[in-house]
Amino acid sequence: MNYDIYLVGVGGQGVLTIAELITEAAYLQGLPVNYYPTEGMAQRGGFVKAQVRLGRGFVGPNIPEKGADLAISMELSESLKAVRFIKPGGDFVLWGHIWLPTAAMLGKAPYPTLDTVRGQIEQAGARLHYLDPHNLPLYQGELVPDNLYVLGAALGCTSLGKVLSAETVKQVVRQRWQRVAERNLFALQAGMEVLVEAER
Amino acid sequence: MSRQIINGNEALALGALRAGVKVVTGYPGTPSTRCLASLLALDPPQRHIEWSTNEKVALEIAAGAAWAGQRALCTMKMSGLNVAYDSLISIAYSGVVGGLVIYVADDPGVNAGMAEQDSRGFAIMSDLPMLEPASPVEAYRLAQEAFELSEQVGTPVFIRLVTAVANSKTVVDVEEHGLPPQREAQLIRDINRFTKAGSAICMQQHRDLIARLEKAEQWIAARGLNELSLSTVAGGLGVVAAGAVIAYLDEGFELAARYGFDPQAVSLLKVRAVHPFPAAEARALLEHCQTVLVLEELEPHIEKSLAVEAYRMNWQGRIIGKLDGTFSRVGAYDVHQVIEGLSRALGLSIPAEALQGYAAEQYAAARPITVCAGCPHRGTFMAINEALRKLRYRKDEVMVTGDIGCTILGMNPPFNTIWNEVSMGASIGLAQGYVHAGVKTPVIATMGDSTFFHAGIPGLVNAIQHQVPLTLIIMDNGWTAMTGMQVNPGTRAAFQGEGGQQVDIARIVPALGVEHFYQMDPSDLRSSVEILKEAIQQPGVKVVLARMECAIQFHRRGENAALAVVDMDKCVLCKLCITQTGCPALSIEEGELKVDPALCTGCSLCMAVCNLDAIHMERVK
Repeated sequence: MNYDIYLVGVGGQGVLTIAELITEAAYLQGLPVNYYPTEGMAQRGGFVKAQVRLGRGFVGPNIPEKGADLAISMELSESLKAVRFIKPGGDFVLWGHIWLPTAAMLGKAPYPTLDTVRGQIEQAGARLHYLDPHNLPLYQGELVPDNLYVLGAALGCTSLGKVLSAETVKQVVRQRWQRVAERNLFALQAGMEVLVEAER
Repeated sequence: MSRQIINGNEALALGALRAGVKVVTGYPGTPSTRCLASLLALDPPQRHIEWSTNEKVALEIAAGAAWAGQRALCTMKMSGLNVAYDSLISIAYSGVVGGLVIYVADDPGVNAGMAEQDSRGFAIMSDLPMLEPASPVEAYRLAQEAFELSEQVGTPVFIRLVTAVANSKTVVDVEEHGLPPQREAQLIRDINRFTKAGSAICMQQHRDLIARLEKAEQWIAARGLNELSLSTVAGGLGVVAAGAVIAYLDEGFELAARYGFDPQAVSLLKVRAVHPFPAAEARALLEHCQTVLVLEELEPHIEKSLAVEAYRMNWQGRIIGKLDGTFSRVGAYDVHQVIEGLSRALGLSIPAEALQGYAAEQYAAARPITVCAGCPHRGTFMAINEALRKLRYRKDEVMVTGDIGCTILGMNPPFNTIWNEVSMGASIGLAQGYVHAGVKTPVIATMGDSTFFHAGIPGLVNAIQHQVPLTLIIMDNGWTAMTGMQVNPGTRAAFQGEGGQQVDIARIVPALGVEHFYQMDPSDLRSSVEILKEAIQQPGVKVVLARMECAIQFHRRGENAALAVVDMDKCVLCKLCITQTGCPALSIEEGELKVDPALCTGCSLCMAVCNLDAIHMERVK
């Protein structure tokens, strides 16, 4: 089965970490994978995207327009850059975090509203799974890492859950973060549950 | 053997290790950096691996090692190849003893910001073979083939990766690389090969060069690096795909099959050795087919060579590519071009919307990049702007030339300080041109530390020799930062690796004979403005060394001294701190000025611009 994932966000949000976890999990499951990260020049605050293509052993790294089965966006405005690539009927997981560019913060440049973004994603024919950043859960009194929460949500409520087993993803999380594994597994699990409920 | 998830850069590096490379040199440049960086991190025994001062020096070191009989790899991005080319063409004429592989990375689609050049042109110009892997798996294999080819034929060999292959990761089976083969260094004295003394020598070398390329063509054909498969029935479509584009064929064929395309009826030539042109295979394809579709990114090099073969054969068919206007010479290819080409060649009716997504990016907020929180360059740009303002110049009447690296971010808001960007070290030469052109206002050049060592020194020497009135600001953060923190000659000795020494810019500049030499601490805004004001007003060549380590580096080491703290009783939300610094650590949330403690390094620039003392620094630890 071929399955393409297009991820967008802002440098520093952990977009590439989500893609790496998916890549590792696919590898452990014996699924062919190609992972192509594109970072901006700045260390933080620039546009970041990643493309993960599952199922083909030898494949071009760029997902064609209308080709992605799943889009994951970590930032409201940057979501719009993934719309072109989502398949009609594909899943679009949107973490509604707003990272205002300085000019927008000062009121000197426009920034899209949630309604605009939602409208564009629906126009493209995708199934929107909106995650409200205000609902990020706490673990031992501190907010959990949002990227793992978002990955959990993608596993819980989209077709990604049919491609990758949650157990494998958890195994990868445990291997990667030994010291904070429990917190990160909690974030993943919370994401998996919250959206499943909301969807019902 | 082990299975690893690695990218094209890392695969190429491991392939070179497996091939017994002894000396690896290079200069950082996106997207090539990770190749050499991954070897440095691996630190394999009995190999010499270094970041060199620039690509020309790197290539000369690698060539010296290859002339002494060892295997050597030299890595760079396309801009670096331009720098190295003077030596490269001479080395190409001489040939090599041990294997010499030159890795150059091109960036179709421009992910990193530089000229979208097609470095295959250099292979053609220098008569050197060039291999182009289409995936990390092929990069691992072709790195080894490249060394074999280099030694079998006695020629330097290029490997070219494009960004999509260099940076994408996939599973690669990697063999044990062990130690490099024990080869004694040889000293071969042969002025006919290793000098250019006289026309007889040079013209013989030219003949030998051409002969080596012909031999390379035979070797490549014998190894089957280019794959030709002809359809059972002659007269149909032929497809020539080069390098990275090969990876899109299967997917494109699959998609086109939905619209009546028959993949079995197509003849295919997959070109992984993009130079020399595989003429024999191309002739076989032309003889078999009526129409040929050529899929290659950027320049139509293969298409032109194919057209020449077609002309020589008096072939009457149709070639679809760039020369007939089907494809653009600009941008990267993906599956789109495969389908568009098939559609054009076979008259398939594929609706445009099948491949065209719904465009929504026009509603996205612009996100211009700026320097990181705590970046020393922020203080320098602010000080330049403030010094010019105090000297009563408008911003649009003072030329500030820019250079490569993080320092170029001064072109963006809120600084809008830098006017232009050409190449490594070019800012100082450009500045002199503006002076000679008759510009009456002060002319300022800016460059980073690695840029200064790479190619900035000759420009400065020229300015001193001709006593050109200008101010050079060297923004020294101690690292080659934009490519991800590589050492350069100016990096502190403690970070140089074993036996490395720091070369101090503060000692070089006065030694060159610069009378007006200043040092400033860019985190101290007030004194920086005063120093710049004075420097700009002095006659002759002035050099200001703005020195402070890259914030990312000391932040990573946990050496932050302080954190900005806002006193909301005093803050009136005038936003001056944000408009003046543009610091990503500052934001306004729910009617309050917030400092992100994860980003703030305590540089104190926001405190320096606040008129109301609403921000102070608190020591951490």
